[in-house]
Amino acid sequence: MIYLLLVYAFIFLVNVPGLVKRKERKELVAFLVLYAIGFALGLMYALDIPIPSPMKGLQYLISDKLGLKYPQH
Amino acid sequence: MSIEKGKISGRQLMFMFAGFIQGSALLIDFTVGITEHQTWMVILAGLIVTIPFILSYAALAKRFPGNDLVRINDMVYGRFIGKALSLYYIFFLSMTLSFNILDVGELYVNFLMPDTPFFFLLSVFAAVIAYAVYKGIEALAKVSHLFVATSLFVTISTSLLLVDQMDFTRFQPLFELPFIKLLQGIHIMSIIPFGETIAFLMIMEHMNDTKGPARYSFFGVLVGAASLLIVSVRNTAVLGRTQTIWTSPSFQSIRLIDIGTVLTRMDFLIGIAQTMLIFFKCSIFLYALTTALSQLFGLKSYKPLVLPVAGIEVIIAATVFQSPVDHAEITQNAGIIYSAPLIYVLPPLTLLIAKIRGLPKIERSKGK
Repeated sequence: MIYLLLVYAFIFLVNVPGLVKRKERKELVAFLVLYAIGFALGLMYALDIPIPSPMKGLQYLISDKLGLKYPQH
Repeated sequence: MSIEKGKISGRQLMFMFAGFIQGSALLIDFTVGITEHQTWMVILAGLIVTIPFILSYAALAKRFPGNDLVRINDMVYGRFIGKALSLYYIFFLSMTLSFNILDVGELYVNFLMPDTPFFFLLSVFAAVIAYAVYKGIEALAKVSHLFVATSLFVTISTSLLLVDQMDFTRFQPLFELPFIKLLQGIHIMSIIPFGETIAFLMIMEHMNDTKGPARYSFFGVLVGAASLLIVSVRNTAVLGRTQTIWTSPSFQSIRLIDIGTVLTRMDFLIGIAQTMLIFFKCSIFLYALTTALSQLFGLKSYKPLVLPVAGIEVIIAATVFQSPVDHAEITQNAGIIYSAPLIYVLPPLTLLIAKIRGLPKIERSKGK
């Protein structure tokens, strides 16, 4: 948890002051959105909250629902 | 407008293609379990199947000079469908990058540093690729030949040191496998090492060579494929059918090197070469992913997105599969099926629509 906070504090300090100084609002918003997603995922991982796997979802849709899969060997 | 001003030469593009494909040398193991001693044939067939599609990527880049995949999609399909297709590509780039970061973690935890925490390995690796991407595409291109040379040296030297243990009767019988297994093997090979080069559609716009990227892409792919072929032939000639039971046939075959009990345990060479190559491959993916996102959001620079995206990729890599078995099973089915339209259908279709609509000439005249 402390590791996560330190890493995300570092990422914030590396990027945000420069973006604010250069008044790059669009870049700042995009950064903050991705930063928030990354931090939320990191927090869930650190707290052992299950994170849904996109590939599991795709497998369910493609292989289980649509039946698109190679035969098991 | 391009969001990065770096320029790369045709020769650098060729080395980038070669290094990128060599970075998948350990991923041919996904096919080995299915196609056994005929994996070398599947690599060749996968190459032959994919070459026309890779040339279509190069043709697209030549037709739309100075434009990347996201802008090409916008020009050809319009803003809404174009953006939706770009999101599909971004999802593919994001997933593939996370799989490659995971591969490095598995490589270290299984073979090189088993006591190191898995998540720590992933984080450090992602930080290094983020640094490389932050430096820009030109910096990566300038060192690409070193990665290719190192990989070729390791592949050729380890193969030569194993010559005395090779038995070429292990390739027999030929054409023994059922067609469906060969088809699946070709599908895996054409998507994983070769089709993933679709990421270069975010890079080819930086070429300063007016002749176009087709021949450089072609020769780069050939060099990469030759490396994969040498690895596959070496593993089959040394291990035969037993290669299907090992987690990594490459590591297992190289562990058999024993020259006068002096040259032994050479598997560290594979570890070094693969770390470098997967680093290179992941850097290209992260660059492609962050530039695609920046184009999608209409940003002036991709750099603010590098670290947050790398952070997200680490978490996806750590959680996307429950086990290596899960990893192999999903990749061999849903993984290669969902990415097929991006690699086989959309680039030739985009090229065809661009030709019919006379793009990008119309775009240029609109601009005037």
